[in-house]
Amino acid sequence: MKRKLLYIFLTFIFCITALTSYSQQQRFPKPEFSSGYEQPDVVTPEPRSGGFEYLDVAVLLVVLSLAAWFALRKRSRQGILWLSVFTLVYFGFYRNGCICSVGSFQNITLSFFDAGYSVSISTLLFFLLPLIFALFFGRVFCAGACPLGAIQDLLIVKPLSLPKWLNKTLGLIPYIYLALAVLFAATGTDFIVCRYDPFVGIFRMDAKFHMIVLGISFLLMGMFVARPYCRFLCPYGVLLSWMSRFSKWHLTITPSLCIKCKLCTTSCPFDAIDFPVNEKEIVQSGPGTKKFIVYAMLIPLWIVAGAFVGERSHLYLSRANQNVYLAELLISDPEIKNDPDNIDVQTFLESGKTMETLVEEAEVMRGQFKTGSMIAGGFIGLVIGLTLINTTVFRKRQDYVPHRGNCLSCGRCMDYCPVEK
Amino acid sequence: MKNKGITIFLIALAVIIVIIIVNEYLSDKPDKGKPNPYQYSVEEFKKIDPSLIRYKESVNFRIGFDNPAAIAIYNDTIYAAGDDIIKIIDLKGTLSGQINLPVSPHTLKVFNDKIFFAAGNRLFVYNMSDESTSEWEPLEELSFITAIAANANDIFIADAGNRRVVRYSPEGHLISVFDGKAEEGALHGFIIPSAYFDIEINDEGKLWIVNPGMHSLENYTFEGQLRSHWKHASMKTEGFSGCCNPAFFTFLSDGRFVTSEKGLVRIKTYKVSGEFEGVVAAPDKFIEDGHAPDIAADSKNNIYAMDFDKKVIRVFNPVD
Repeated sequence: MKRKLLYIFLTFIFCITALTSYSQQQRFPKPEFSSGYEQPDVVTPEPRSGGFEYLDVAVLLVVLSLAAWFALRKRSRQGILWLSVFTLVYFGFYRNGCICSVGSFQNITLSFFDAGYSVSISTLLFFLLPLIFALFFGRVFCAGACPLGAIQDLLIVKPLSLPKWLNKTLGLIPYIYLALAVLFAATGTDFIVCRYDPFVGIFRMDAKFHMIVLGISFLLMGMFVARPYCRFLCPYGVLLSWMSRFSKWHLTITPSLCIKCKLCTTSCPFDAIDFPVNEKEIVQSGPGTKKFIVYAMLIPLWIVAGAFVGERSHLYLSRANQNVYLAELLISDPEIKNDPDNIDVQTFLESGKTMETLVEEAEVMRGQFKTGSMIAGGFIGLVIGLTLINTTVFRKRQDYVPHRGNCLSCGRCMDYCPVEK
Repeated sequence: MKNKGITIFLIALAVIIVIIIVNEYLSDKPDKGKPNPYQYSVEEFKKIDPSLIRYKESVNFRIGFDNPAAIAIYNDTIYAAGDDIIKIIDLKGTLSGQINLPVSPHTLKVFNDKIFFAAGNRLFVYNMSDESTSEWEPLEELSFITAIAANANDIFIADAGNRRVVRYSPEGHLISVFDGKAEEGALHGFIIPSAYFDIEINDEGKLWIVNPGMHSLENYTFEGQLRSHWKHASMKTEGFSGCCNPAFFTFLSDGRFVTSEKGLVRIKTYKVSGEFEGVVAAPDKFIEDGHAPDIAADSKNNIYAMDFDKKVIRVFNPVD
């Protein structure tokens, strides 16, 4: 009876929200004339009305729960695969890749630095839920709830194993991307993760030609280098990786004891399986402790060097900001004011803002970029230093286990394990 | 080398990816942008077929207002309001009188030796016989009076702020209020997106009201019942376009309509039936992004347009 009442109540709420948006659309009749004017395409999808944004949150929650269940409890690669198909259809093609957890950290960042910008609860949840799940169950978001991951995962054909040095080097790019994305978001300059999202144009079927080429290039690359965007670009993956390293539970290759059959060694297209370590070989390979101490001592130098590079590059980076670029442009080329086709310049001139105000704003922005670039540079230096240290650290391992930070919980390795529960 | 072909393919893709990202980053700058492909241009619609122009501008009067506000003609005398003055001018442009006002009016109407003028939500009556001014009970705070119509027994005001028409007795007693809503499916009611909402009573005593959001002129009984209407929503010369047009209208002596539009600033005439007749003043007669002129007509069907941008009264004579 209670359940029945709940269904009736939910149906009623659904009808009310639908009716509200319908009546809003109809409150004003559309003018009945056509000028032949071609409306520009809307760049971002319309925001969800009423309770529908929470429907997306609910769907995400369900998908994350199912992904965790398939990966950890059911141990079903098949389940994760179909879940990622659903994610691709729903969050990708139906919701047009927006709202997206991958870019949500930019909204959160901006809300910290701009008092006039606030994020909705749904955005906050889209940012937090995958991280919380990663903290408990590993990167199950990457496995089944990320449309960007899903579209790449379904097109893996012949994954190649990359050399370790290349994996490590390319693995630094997401940290750089994360630092820049936070810098650009904090200064209100741009949401670069959204702007350079290679797949969102495919989801919306309306991207500029070169962005479509970018998306297709990533997909073609993904046929041989599995999920290249996730592994070597995704800045949100960095946060998920951090959380996943401390995850309470995590996907395991074997449901019981590893028999070291090595069947799983080639199963992971992401090179995320850590092999057992032969202690003797490690000891023979060289003075690890000495290296560790040297690298550890170099960390402050890496940070200072990173901050220095950041400081040096802040002028260039700040030009990404519209105000800074416009101010520089108008000072260096005052004649551009007479160019009627320059939309940005004409928009500025018609805004009524004075040149002095623009220059003042640009100077403030440069100051912010200087501080932000130094912090970002220092962070990247720290990451490089820690990555180097990591190469000297010996971790005792007797079994084949997924790397908690890099494993995307896709479950492929589980299918290779012959051990029964 | 193992997988040599694939490696070369991957390197090529990596190069393409880097080139696209760098190009995208560098191209989106104020001096690198392309001309706006979606610029909304109405230039094409400003062109008028010369054969449609039925009027010729003969003269204009400089009226000396900093802020001209409204024009009315009664008994072939021009009443021009602006600043906080009403100037009385004959049809040749000679100033014959001037009335100082307590407020800066937004609109005015002259009938039976009385000048009705309004500012915001306040309505005033100036009695020309004893030169006295009285103020009626002000409307609500959100009210904004944009036009006044009068006959012997009724005064109507168009309240754009509340999207309604208010009917008064000549003594200023409120009789009724109506909002133009008709029976289901007939008409929407008054849609007033901006402060343009005109109202007139023609020589036959019929009350006509502009419903600017619907691009229509609507005929109501004095009780507020819709009697008839005509509409022309079109970007073409014969229609009205934009959010809210016509901005002003008046009647010629034989009951034909004269309309004044904003956006695409132009003045046109329509037959009594609402059928498009011709153009009085084409858009090229007015400045770029100018205001819709207020209009009035004399007994010989000459049209007087108060050009708010040039601050003159422009006279258009019919070309026979």
